[in-house]
Amino acid sequence: MVQEFKLNRLETTRLMGPMVDKHWKELRTAKERGEKVAWCSGVPFIFAYAMDMKCHFMAGYSAYCAGRKAGEHVLEIADSTGELPDTCSYHRMHMGMAEAVKRGIPVREDVVLPIPDLMIAGRVCPEMSHYAEALYRKFGIQVAGIELMTPYQESDYEFLEPYLERQFKEILIPTLEEICGKPFDYDHMREILRVLKKTATIRNDCLEYFKKVPSPWTLWDYGVSLAPVIYLMGKPETIPYYEKLRAELEERSKKNIPAILPEEKHRVFWDGWLPWGFLGHFSRKLTSYGANPISGRYPWEMFPRPDLIDPEGDPVHTFVKALYTGTMLGNNMAKPGLSLIDRIIPEYQIDGLIFFTAKSCRIWKSQLTILEKMERKYGIPGLCLEADMADPKMFSDAQIDTRLNAFFEVLEARKEKRRWV
Amino acid sequence: MEKVMSRFMELSTDPYAGVAKWKEDTGKKIIGCFPMRIPEEIVHASGMLPVVMWRGNEAVTLGHSYVHNFNCGLTRSFIDDVMKDKLDFMDGMIFYRSCLQAEEIPSTIELNAPPRHFLYLYLPPLYPGAVFRDFLIQQLKKMKENLEAWAGKEITEDALNNSIEVYNKNRSLLKRLYELRKRKPGTIRAREMLAIVHASMLMDKEEHSKLLGSLLPELEDREEVADGKVRVILSGGLCQTPHTAILDLIEEAGMVVVDDDIYIGSRYFANEVTPGNDPLESLADRYMKKTPPDPTMGDWKTLWSDYMVDKVRENNAKGMVSLLVKFCPPHLCYYPDIKRTFDKEGIPEVMIEVEHEVVSVEQMRTRLQAFVEVIRGGA
Repeated sequence: MVQEFKLNRLETTRLMGPMVDKHWKELRTAKERGEKVAWCSGVPFIFAYAMDMKCHFMAGYSAYCAGRKAGEHVLEIADSTGELPDTCSYHRMHMGMAEAVKRGIPVREDVVLPIPDLMIAGRVCPEMSHYAEALYRKFGIQVAGIELMTPYQESDYEFLEPYLERQFKEILIPTLEEICGKPFDYDHMREILRVLKKTATIRNDCLEYFKKVPSPWTLWDYGVSLAPVIYLMGKPETIPYYEKLRAELEERSKKNIPAILPEEKHRVFWDGWLPWGFLGHFSRKLTSYGANPISGRYPWEMFPRPDLIDPEGDPVHTFVKALYTGTMLGNNMAKPGLSLIDRIIPEYQIDGLIFFTAKSCRIWKSQLTILEKMERKYGIPGLCLEADMADPKMFSDAQIDTRLNAFFEVLEARKEKRRWV
Repeated sequence: MEKVMSRFMELSTDPYAGVAKWKEDTGKKIIGCFPMRIPEEIVHASGMLPVVMWRGNEAVTLGHSYVHNFNCGLTRSFIDDVMKDKLDFMDGMIFYRSCLQAEEIPSTIELNAPPRHFLYLYLPPLYPGAVFRDFLIQQLKKMKENLEAWAGKEITEDALNNSIEVYNKNRSLLKRLYELRKRKPGTIRAREMLAIVHASMLMDKEEHSKLLGSLLPELEDREEVADGKVRVILSGGLCQTPHTAILDLIEEAGMVVVDDDIYIGSRYFANEVTPGNDPLESLADRYMKKTPPDPTMGDWKTLWSDYMVDKVRENNAKGMVSLLVKFCPPHLCYYPDIKRTFDKEGIPEVMIEVEHEVVSVEQMRTRLQAFVEVIRGGA
């Protein structure tokens, strides 16, 4: 008889929806209250927050829009206005939204974005500056260009940190001061960092529970809980959220309650983006095999080293330190990524590797190489799932099912050959 | 003349043999530079030969074990060549990120088949602010130090100034060649132009200049054969070689290329280096130039589409053929704006999507013929 599995969802994660909705609503309605609005790619949005601006975060918005099932419609608008289908789906989503607002094309109210006063082009990848450039061409909106160069290797932090710190101090802060007509609020930035530090520290406690066998939670639960350690940073309610989450995990852990019922059969590593547009869809697929994705590189991008954040000193300096030395920027690159995965596999007792590959985004470097090296070293199977984080046209569901089927068969067969030590 | 042209053609179509032979003849090291913005002059000044990395001439096979098939032709082909040991003659490789896919090559190579010398440079975007130029100069210094170690000798200021002069001379000769084509369209075929510029990326610059210098007067004597042809400019192919078969198709469809905005074309030799007190600073200043607009560089104010419209008009061209490399993010992101601008200006433009593995040539032929008919019908 085929065993049936189901997700045992956490109670706490149900609280996240209203928090996220509130954030986007405040952004959507900011202009009505006479507030300044910025759009931002990468993490420099903290500087806009410090100036009491409402600020969008490119990847966060894309995840939100796709998660709300509005992404497909917005992508269709983009396509109808000339965007090409191989282009980054986050880029296209923003082009679609901008065109919808500009031309009055109706879209769901909860995903509408206000046209900003400033574009902060945080260039984690060059595509992130393309979207700012394209919006400048459409609306003539002021742009502040900040390069968030991803480090090729850890030893490069040494010169990348002062490079970024100078950009924040010489470009972004003066631009914000000009737009807001007031000096930069360093104290407010410190306050945001204090909350972030505390939230991320509790979050790290929560991540420890992934090591437990069976794990009391899944990467899907964590995916839902990412906003407090990224674009909800600084909101006081993020601390009690993670305290509650930690308490629930502790409770489950004591009682040995798994995140997948009746049992956690496979522990897998999920590399690359979370498929925001299809989170439920993919979680159901994996759950049907009793597979729990308990770790990945993406979750480790969200301020994994809060101990390095020193809110009482120079907030810009400490923020930059948290980005590079704190390994928030760079896990997507092959060498730092390989070191991280190499550490995670034995620590989290991983049975297999699923590398999610977004066809319209190549930010996760050398995935095939990493997969091959880790398979060889630990004797565990790996699979590349070619899909997309937001665009359903990029993949075939039937093909994914076939590949998952084969993968879990191999995984089962190879379990005895794992070499974690 | 034919002999010189054949030499350029041979090198362009089979760089492997030509570059390896240069190494054998001279005993000097070969340093592959990722296109498009690594200042080759610094490599040249070290006494080693800089060559611009190229898209290979065979279908990708082994490479697909290392790179996804939805990466662009250059990334897939270059990795394929390395894994097949076809580039063993390259003593060193220098990379930087021009786009997300370009970032895929260095780590894949370093983790699987590292060359004898390897350098990953961080080249900044053209954002406003002194910090970017300062950082660039810091990176160029790092590049110089690495090359000195690889070459086992100091790169002196004199050597750098000499290399700048050598490169500037080559640029001015290529510029003369382009001026000639503008004056007498059709005298130099698109595939010949490509081969001449491509050869400059693959051979010793002084030798190239010498050969090109001897070729120019003879090309001047060629008869113009552009009567009745539709004048067009070429755009796209940001960092990789367009297929010569496609260039031939453009001409066979009744067009004549009067100018281009492609990398293995006018973009390669645009902007000379202005000599100054510090050669690295002079090289940095060339790098920081905003034209021709480069969609990989983040400069939002210098509009590529406007630049192309001007190029069409300056050349009295009737339209533009965009060669959009499949999976090229910078071009993909910018193309809608180009299309809109050309529509607004009433200038015919056709986009041909090109892949490493040539797809249906006949479909392209039909599209190009239709494009010519549209222009002629509207003339």
